[in-house]
Amino acid sequence: MNKRGITINVNGTEHPLQVDGSDRLIDVLRDQLSLKSVKEGCSTGDCGICAVLVDGKLVNSCLMLAAQCDGRRVTTLEGLLEDPTMKRMQGRFIANNAAQCGFCTPAMLIASWDLARHSTEPSNEEIKLAISGILCRCTGYYQIVDSVREGCEGGRR
Amino acid sequence: MDGIEPPASGMKFFNSESLISFQTVVMSTVELYSPTDLNDALRFMEHDGRNVTVVASGTDLLPRMRRKQISPSILVDISSFKEDLRYIRQSDGTIRLGALTTVADLLESPMFHGRLSMIREAGKLFGAPQVRNVATIGGNICSASSSEDLIPVFMALDARLKLVSARGERSVPLKDFIVGKRATDMKPSEILAEVEFSLPGGHSWTAYEKLGRRNMLIIAIVNEALSLTLEEDLRTVRSAKVALNRVSGKIPALAARTNDFLEGKMVTEETIAQAQKVLASELSLTSDFRGSGAYRKEIAQVYLKRLLERCSWQIGGHS
Repeated sequence: MNKRGITINVNGTEHPLQVDGSDRLIDVLRDQLSLKSVKEGCSTGDCGICAVLVDGKLVNSCLMLAAQCDGRRVTTLEGLLEDPTMKRMQGRFIANNAAQCGFCTPAMLIASWDLARHSTEPSNEEIKLAISGILCRCTGYYQIVDSVREGCEGGRR
Repeated sequence: MDGIEPPASGMKFFNSESLISFQTVVMSTVELYSPTDLNDALRFMEHDGRNVTVVASGTDLLPRMRRKQISPSILVDISSFKEDLRYIRQSDGTIRLGALTTVADLLESPMFHGRLSMIREAGKLFGAPQVRNVATIGGNICSASSSEDLIPVFMALDARLKLVSARGERSVPLKDFIVGKRATDMKPSEILAEVEFSLPGGHSWTAYEKLGRRNMLIIAIVNEALSLTLEEDLRTVRSAKVALNRVSGKIPALAARTNDFLEGKMVTEETIAQAQKVLASELSLTSDFRGSGAYRKEIAQVYLKRLLERCSWQIGGHS
C-alpha cells in the first residue's frame, strides 16, 4: 500500500507527512506529531474526547481521515497553551476542580475555548450545548459548566 | 459448583472472545483516491469495477469500517467538492440541497424556520456539535439505515435525489431509493449529488420528534417526521406524510397506510386515535438493545398524536 505525502498546518506549523489511506487524523496527531492532548476514547464518534479544531470548526479527529486534512489547518490544545482565553479557561478549570480523572479535560477545554471565542455571556444552555458532544465519565459536569461560564465571562472587557 | 459464582461481568473483558473482537476494531488498510473534481471522481468510478465506496465526511463510514461492517478496498474522497456539492438553494417553490451540505449548514440557514422548522428540529438533535460540523446530508441518506435521522425528515417532504454518473444523471424518489437495511438503489458508478423537494405550500407545517436515551450523541429509538397540509377550512387533511426511522424491520419509510387514512379526514381527537391504530397495525418492528418492538410501537403512536397536534395547531394560527 502506497503512502501519500500530505501537508497539514498543525498549531501554526506546516507539517509534511506520509500517511496511509486508512490513517485517521487522530493517528497522525498522536503517533506522528506526539500531540497527546488528543485522546482516543470510543473511536466511533460517541464520546468526543478526540475533539480538535479543523479550519476553526470543532470536529472529532477519530472520524476524519488524515488525507482529507491535506492543506487544512488543525488546532489542538497544545497550540493554544499561550492563548490568553485558554489560559483563563484552564485557570477556572483548576480553581473549580473541574478535572477529576482528567481524560476528557483537553476536549472540554478546546470546546470551551471555541465557545468563548463567540460568547462572553453564555447561558447555561449554551454552555451545555457547546460541550454536549463530549462525555465526562466522572460526570463532574457542574464544575465544568461553572468553569466554562467563568472562563467566558472573564473575556469581557 | 458449590455455590461458587461465575466471574463477575467485569471479568468478561479479559476472555479470549473479547480480545479477538478488540483486535477487529483496527481498521484494515484501504486505498484512498482523491479526485481533482466531480468529473474525475465519476470517471474513476466508471472504469473501476473494484470494491469502491464514496467517502464524504466519514463520520458514519469510519466507525463501520473499524467494526468490519464494511470493507471497501478503495475510498473515493469527495469531501473537497465543496463548491460543486455544498449549497442550499431555493427557486420556484423548490429547495435544492447539495449532497455535501452539512447538518451545521442546515442549522445556520435562515430557510428552515417557519413551516420547514422540522429540519432545524432534526438538526438540533443530530449527533453533537462536532459531528454536525462535518456530517453531510448525502452521507446520512446513503448510509440508509434506521440510525440516520434525516431520512424520515426528507421522506416526509417527498424528497427526490439526483444521482450522477459519468453517463448522465437520474432522479429517484427517496422512498424508492432505500430498498432495505443499508441497501439503496444506487449503482456502483453513481454519486448522490443533490436532495430536492418542493416547499410545502398552502396551509402546511412540518414537525419532528426523536426519542433516544439521551439528547446528544444518540441513535434514535424512534424518530418520526410529519409534513401536514390542510384544506382551506384548516381542519381537513389535504395531505399527511408521516415517516419513521423504522416501519418494517430496521428500514426507514413512509407510513403509507397511515398517510392514506389521514387524507380527507378532519383533524379531531377521534381521527388521531384512529390514525394511531392504523399506524400500529402497519408497523412491524423488531427489538434490540435500544428498545423493544412493542415500546417503539407505543412511542411511534404517541409521536403521531404529538406531531399531528403540533402541525395543525401551527397551521390553525394557534386558535
